Amino acid sequence: MEGVSYQRFPKIKIREMKDDYFKFELRETDASMANALRRVMIAEVPTIAIDLVEIEANSSVLNDEFIAHRLGLIPLVSDDAMGMRFSRDCDACDGDGQCEYCSVEFHLNVRCDSDQTLDVTSNDLRSTEPRVIPVDVASRSLASESGGYDSQERGIIIVKLRRGQELRLRAIARKGIGKDHAKWSPAATVTFLYEPEIHINEELMETLTLEEKRSWVESSPTKVFDIDPDTYQVKVVDPEAYSYDEEVIKKAEAMGKPGLVEIYAKEDSFIFTVESTGAIKAYQMVINAIEIIKQKLDAVRLQDSEEPDMGELTQHL
Amino acid sequence: MDSQPEPVSYICGDCGGENTLKPADVIQCRECGYRILYKKRTRRIVQYEAR
Repeated sequence: MEGVSYQRFPKIKIREMKDDYFKFELRETDASMANALRRVMIAEVPTIAIDLVEIEANSSVLNDEFIAHRLGLIPLVSDDAMGMRFSRDCDACDGDGQCEYCSVEFHLNVRCDSDQTLDVTSNDLRSTEPRVIPVDVASRSLASESGGYDSQERGIIIVKLRRGQELRLRAIARKGIGKDHAKWSPAATVTFLYEPEIHINEELMETLTLEEKRSWVESSPTKVFDIDPDTYQVKVVDPEAYSYDEEVIKKAEAMGKPGLVEIYAKEDSFIFTVESTGAIKAYQMVINAIEIIKQKLDAVRLQDSEEPDMGELTQHL
Repeated sequence: MDSQPEPVSYICGDCGGENTLKPADVIQCRECGYRILYKKRTRRIVQYEAR
């Protein structure tokens, strides 16, 4: 089988691109590639998150562990994460995980001295590295003009303090991946769907009365088909709304018209929807994911040229 | 290690007064005689993994 190549050249077409939302088509490849891309985006694209918390004082109502956990879940701007070192293979600090190459330090020092409840938010965190700061929720939601969010409230609430209570701590943020802990995942959701191919049997369709057509169109739980107001022909309005529920096929059979419509999933076309937590821009997540897949493939290729020892390989998987 | 055990201070659950207790002492507030005492939080830094 020497010399046989299965190389393909996948194509990407961008449909919609925002900081936290990215929709694109991936064509001329197969499900293994699409699913690899999806899984790498969720579990292996690195971000920075708080990993160690040293609490000096905490007289709030939440216990130390609870606050440490909440701090870990705050998304931090991680544009530099790809170039950063994992603290476990950092030479500069001996795996200590507290040097400038593999960590970022945060300080939090808040005390409530008024009769009003004080909200401690992600904005109270002081970073030692200006490029790594908590994701600004308020300005992001203002930019996208999504309703329902009160812009008066800023930041992510960590804890609330009453008069006399205080919280003083130091936190170390490190690079990590979603496979180790979900707090490092840059993905809110990553999904893909097979592009459906819908063929209506026009000849058979014309044997239906208008009433039958209406009831058939209505049988789809999502709005895939419609009736042309002029010609009264059934047409496909939104093939991607089809959720492979096969309701229209069952309906056609129940009406005694099997083969009225044929629907296939295109095996080589995928429509991706990527949503980001804000740690990394959504499109950057895709680019980083491809970079990581390439690194993984390089590891396999280097393995192949030497002795095929699977022990080393499985360590990286 | 510490040669003699350091007295630990506690807060009374009733009057809020501070009490120092040594091992084998009766657990009772010196001011009001209330028998529920709360241990104070350590002044040392405590470390947690944010997981």
